[in-house]
Amino acid sequence: MVIQLKHPPNLLSKRTISTKHGQSSDIRPFSVLGSTLDYLMSLMNSAAEPFETVHDFIFDRTRSIRQDLSMQNIVDKRVIHMYEKMVNFHVISHHKLRLRSSGPDSFNISSLHHLNMEQLAKVLTSLYNLYDLNRDHNSVVHKNEPEYRSLYVLLCLNSESLPEGERLSLWFRRVPSPVIKSKEMSFARRILRYFRMGNYSRFFSTIAAEASYLQYCALEPYIDKVRALAVLCINNGGYKLHPYPMAHLSNLLMMEESEVESFCNACGLETSLDEQGNKVLPTKQPAFNHPKAGYGEYGFSGLENICRTL
Amino acid sequence: MAAYLSMGEAHRRITDYLGRFSDAVSSQDVASLKHILSLSSNSASLLSLADALNLLQDANRLIKQSDRFSQFAEIVAPLFRCIQNYRLGNLVDAYPAYEKAANAFIQEFRNWDSAWALEALYVIAYEIRVLAERADRELSANGKSPEKLKAAGSFLMKVFGVLAGKGPKRVGALYVTCQLFKVYFKLGTVHLCRSVIRSIETARIFDFEEFPQRDKVTYMYYTGRLEVYNENFTAADQKLSYALAHCNPHSEANIRMILKYLIPVKLSIGILPTDWLLEKYNLVEYRNIVQALKRGDLRLLRSALEAHEDRFLRSGVYLVLEKLELQVYQRLLKKIYIIQKQKDPSKAHQMKLEVIIKALRWLGIDMDLDEVECIVAILIHKNLVKGYFAHKSKVVVLSKQDPFPKLMGKPVNA
Repeated sequence: MVIQLKHPPNLLSKRTISTKHGQSSDIRPFSVLGSTLDYLMSLMNSAAEPFETVHDFIFDRTRSIRQDLSMQNIVDKRVIHMYEKMVNFHVISHHKLRLRSSGPDSFNISSLHHLNMEQLAKVLTSLYNLYDLNRDHNSVVHKNEPEYRSLYVLLCLNSESLPEGERLSLWFRRVPSPVIKSKEMSFARRILRYFRMGNYSRFFSTIAAEASYLQYCALEPYIDKVRALAVLCINNGGYKLHPYPMAHLSNLLMMEESEVESFCNACGLETSLDEQGNKVLPTKQPAFNHPKAGYGEYGFSGLENICRTL
Repeated sequence: MAAYLSMGEAHRRITDYLGRFSDAVSSQDVASLKHILSLSSNSASLLSLADALNLLQDANRLIKQSDRFSQFAEIVAPLFRCIQNYRLGNLVDAYPAYEKAANAFIQEFRNWDSAWALEALYVIAYEIRVLAERADRELSANGKSPEKLKAAGSFLMKVFGVLAGKGPKRVGALYVTCQLFKVYFKLGTVHLCRSVIRSIETARIFDFEEFPQRDKVTYMYYTGRLEVYNENFTAADQKLSYALAHCNPHSEANIRMILKYLIPVKLSIGILPTDWLLEKYNLVEYRNIVQALKRGDLRLLRSALEAHEDRFLRSGVYLVLEKLELQVYQRLLKKIYIIQKQKDPSKAHQMKLEVIIKALRWLGIDMDLDEVECIVAILIHKNLVKGYFAHKSKVVVLSKQDPFPKLMGKPVNA
């Protein structure tokens, strides 16, 4: 992968340091690491290269920054902000790689996606340890801690997701009380409740109303799952003589009408027209299936508003 | 107090201890050996020994003095260092010293053919965990990274390995397993329980029935809790019920601990505890939840969860209890149905969504048509309600036969 961008050469050569042989002259001082990271983050929105190329580039270099930080055993508050930025990178990549994964290079991208999840899990764990280590004695939580803790919940709505992930029931035991009561964590817990109960109505309306961009990116993979559940329930439980209006469905599922139609088709269901010419979903169709690997094909109606929170 | 201790007296105490140690080993007296190795007992003899050691500072000379003692130098020398540090309140240094002594002990233990010293090994396993916990608390308080409990976990795995053989020592493996469970639960690295569970349950050398009753109960309690966290309610019910049935009936504290997890499981499969049980074991935090399920009172469920949120989150049952909401909805709809049946049996099976909205509003809960329809659709999907919903007429049509199927001891469909 050839990178066309112009980088400050010393900062960004690809490096892997084996922990045995790292010499002190090779390790970058803290201030250099900080400016390197800021530069890397600025590349996130560059349109010069396909995103997976940019992602790969930043992935390796942020990992080497973390190696340098841990070899110097820097674990104080200064590092927290750096780790938060790295989480931003992995979470936003989580979202952007999905968008790219229905193209021709989908196999490669899906493995990038998987590796990204693994790193995200590691970086989050390190960040939470840093929060714990640097907590003041009057147990005031760090400014961004509620949002970054909420991301774990949203990434793990379905307990099996995070590699080596702790079951949420166990994870919650060790979350500090001020974080539990925070607005961000309250959002995440409600989304979890709606997901687990199948309350698709509130699931989507709450995301549209309250999610931050990072939170949206974290929970995005579950959106289509809940949509599929909604379509399944409506198909199975709806009265045969009352086909379900697609306009209503698209509001419910926060999707464009054209996308809802294509989504129903992906679920093996046919749509039709009623007497007034409105699109409807006939219920009690026998052939429902969950859409295959529903990567990033469908948008989310409230997304522009959510992006404003960035 | 050490100022009042003479050198001669210090000598005497140390030599006395060494003598008791070697006598205990040579006569296979596990009761005495247990006592000698138990740090947390804070016995007077231990404390007086500690004072003597801190005065003398060089106990190694005394150990080397006679063959009778020097053969145990590898165990006793670090043990002395541990006791000294323990007495001075320096747990961070006491732990590694105890681990070193324990390590030397298990090398000896390996060579003893019979299982005579098993109870002493139990003491060591217990002390390793408890000392490590205290050391980690000290580390955290000083702003350092706690790491001793993790080391204790590794050490206990080693001990497990020593016991996992064909001989009579293997019955000790379950005790060590339970100590490991406690370590992993405390550290939050609960996934590490998997490998030791696999060893206990699938290795041919172990026969579960051979293990001591007390250890079986503890084992089922912890594995039952794991099933609760994984939401395998049938397995959780089976294990926690075993623990309850075989627990010492006089041990109210233990029964309470088991019930704390068993009750949410039973609730999830539709079985409600009596008020008497909740009172007797002081589990009143579940009282309103049970009431909410009986009455279909959604507001009561939510307020009960909120009132005890901290407690339920810390024990890890909050998410399980939250999910009971579906059963509460079922009960609420059933009540509306019963009222409708009394008014007009021929129309009872048709329930307007508006009526449900009204009932919820009466409970102080605001829900729009979309959400009510959604809840009804989910209840039908999970077989808590039999029937269908008509979107245009905004009505639920219930099946004329058994519209609200009971759970019958099975959890709600996933």
